[in-house]
Amino acid sequence: MQSPKWLAIARNEYRVQTSWIRGLRRFFPLAAAALLAVWVYYLAPMMVRSMVNDFLGFVLSQVAVALFEIILFVLSVFLTIIPVSNALKEEGLGRVELMLKAPVRPGDVLIGEFLGKTPVYAIVATALAGLFTALLAPLGLSLLQTALIILLAFVTCLSSFWIGTVLAAVARTTIGRTAKGKDIGKAVSFILVLPLIALFYGLIGGNILTALADPSTNRLVSTVLGLFPSSWAAEVIVAFANNPSNIGAVWALTLTRIGGVVAFMVGGLAAGWMVADRAYSLEPSGLGATEVGPDGAFYRTVRLLGGGGSFGSLLVSVFKDYGRRLENLSQVGYIIGLMVLINFFFVDDAGGARMMGLLMGTVMALFLCSEATIRGRENLFIYRKTPSGVGRFMRAKLLQGWLTVLPFIAAVMLVSGLRFGVAFTWPYLTSVGNALLIAAANVSMAMGLSFANPAYSQKSASYMINFQLIAFLALGAMIIPDMVLHVEWLHMPLAWALGLVLLYLGYRKLSTME
Amino acid sequence: MITMKTIIETRNLSKYFGKGKEIKAVDGLDLEVYEGEAFGLLGPNGAGKTTVVRLLNCIIKPTGGTATVNGHDILGEENDVKRVTGMLAESPGLYEKLSGYEFLEFMGALYDVPSEVLKERIDDLLRLFGLHERRDHLVEGYSSGMKQKLLIAAALIHDPPILFLDEPTSSLDPRAAHMVKDLIKELSDTAGKTIFMCSHILPVVEELCDRIGIIDEGRLVAVGTVDEIIARSGQETLEEAFIALTGGAVDSELLAWREQVAKP
Repeated sequence: MQSPKWLAIARNEYRVQTSWIRGLRRFFPLAAAALLAVWVYYLAPMMVRSMVNDFLGFVLSQVAVALFEIILFVLSVFLTIIPVSNALKEEGLGRVELMLKAPVRPGDVLIGEFLGKTPVYAIVATALAGLFTALLAPLGLSLLQTALIILLAFVTCLSSFWIGTVLAAVARTTIGRTAKGKDIGKAVSFILVLPLIALFYGLIGGNILTALADPSTNRLVSTVLGLFPSSWAAEVIVAFANNPSNIGAVWALTLTRIGGVVAFMVGGLAAGWMVADRAYSLEPSGLGATEVGPDGAFYRTVRLLGGGGSFGSLLVSVFKDYGRRLENLSQVGYIIGLMVLINFFFVDDAGGARMMGLLMGTVMALFLCSEATIRGRENLFIYRKTPSGVGRFMRAKLLQGWLTVLPFIAAVMLVSGLRFGVAFTWPYLTSVGNALLIAAANVSMAMGLSFANPAYSQKSASYMINFQLIAFLALGAMIIPDMVLHVEWLHMPLAWALGLVLLYLGYRKLSTME
Repeated sequence: MITMKTIIETRNLSKYFGKGKEIKAVDGLDLEVYEGEAFGLLGPNGAGKTTVVRLLNCIIKPTGGTATVNGHDILGEENDVKRVTGMLAESPGLYEKLSGYEFLEFMGALYDVPSEVLKERIDDLLRLFGLHERRDHLVEGYSSGMKQKLLIAAALIHDPPILFLDEPTSSLDPRAAHMVKDLIKELSDTAGKTIFMCSHILPVVEELCDRIGIIDEGRLVAVGTVDEIIARSGQETLEEAFIALTGGAVDSELLAWREQVAKP
């Protein structure tokens, strides 16, 4: 007798997911269950022991429901994003065609893909449930309450993953179809995480707790997030914490909220099944090729900055190749967003703003300028082939790196300066100038190293080595003069010396590369 | 031996893309392919070859017209059509983290091959394609030629009478391409499969196909044996006939700039 198609697809997906432990695959469920048991009964309780009193104090406070709602909402969104983000990063259309040419219902594909990944999702859900039960155990919850919390964690996590799986399938066959769509997808997958980071920073920095202590804000948050199933689970958890071993006191809330969460999951499954036809379709989407217009003011300015001649044209081309990839723009947006959030939540004086300026130079150089060779070896040979091409290419990339990084550092530092009322004081402006010069040196380091040890993909070992080495060198150039030698002024010359040496090494490598 | 029984038949088959359906990928295609023959669909890049294959495999739906494959309508008997066809896509999907054996086992399950038959068939196919030694190796470690062989084996896993091959040799080195051509010849001559092959590599089609069709901008501009098409177009080779039929002649005016540059 034939096994159902969704089971075959699920088994296949499970094999793919556990391919890295092929030899041990048969022991995986047992090993995972054993490790999770150790986590739930031993590790999680041990880990939370030190903070359990603070936590219990919080869980019985007035901000508990709203904060739990926020935490579970953020977690749900995060779990939904993971499959979408993964789907947009990989190129899976060939596999969709593989399924569509076989006599398989799209719903089977959807369910199969989801179930095949469920063991991994279940591990996340169990880990989460273990954390909650460990934190709430000292209150003396009944066995039924503990079981219901575990059930809620499972259903909430799996619902989010299911929605993520459906959205991922739709994204893969719509925007993932064309080069433009893939670019949009990669860009979006970067930026999507930013609001979540903002929430976490808000929680860590304490601003959210303070805000939630205000009854009107608390009510607003609960009203808005109360529409989402993650909040229903939060309400039950907090209700149990307030009524340990007394489920009868909150039976109506328990029944309606758990019923709601389960109904949402069942409804989600049914809706996903119904849209599966659309999700797994190779019918053409609306995204076509991008058509570009004549150069605008920005590119004309860049051309002028490059001297207007052939180097100006080269600089504009390098800029266009970088700037027309939404993925790059989103990466710039992500790093700047991250820096703005750190500034906002963790910096509370001008000294901190100065330090953040220096840190921004390192981080932006690291993330935005280590990709100079990422488009492949062939791109580099174009420059090798042209007269004086290597030097001109490196100058153009360096200028592009500076123009990408420095204006943003200046802007963020000046806004921070305005926040603390020092923006236009001479010492602060000097520190902005200092941060910009050091950032320029860091960009030179990152560019130089990426030419000296070219990496042709973000997954390559060279890329990872460069990434770590640049971080080590840039931070070393800051820490050693300031904290070890106590000669602060040495920071800039050291950073520039490293930058120039690496640029020279990069030039030699590109000039002799075969 | 061609039996002349029509196994694939399209009637005014059309597929238009774009918001206003302005892109005619396939436009009023009337075509007959006979049982047991190797039929080649030739055309320049973007002519509509892959769209025809996808339509005939029920992967996408036509805008107009219809087609039957082994007597099954592509608009209503999709699963029956899929069961009688095997397909090698132009950019095929492969599960790189599965072994060759696991991949074929998965494909067999998708096509409902009974489990008692499947194991033996996988072994037979792996032996036939010279992959048996590597059956337990992950696909990611296979060469391009081995991957292509595995994909052809996957297309044959349910023993379909019709095989669609979309650009089967375009991404292969000469040795691997030669091997794949031999395989196709074997499948057509010995195993009696009907082969529907798309390509823009003329010598491959010329060597392997009993009849060919030439498609340009979605329309079928010629169909027949290689000799018939050459004769009908008034040319001497298939390449010349192809260029004449698809309007690919070089316009000498386009090269006039060279003379202008040469002038002092």
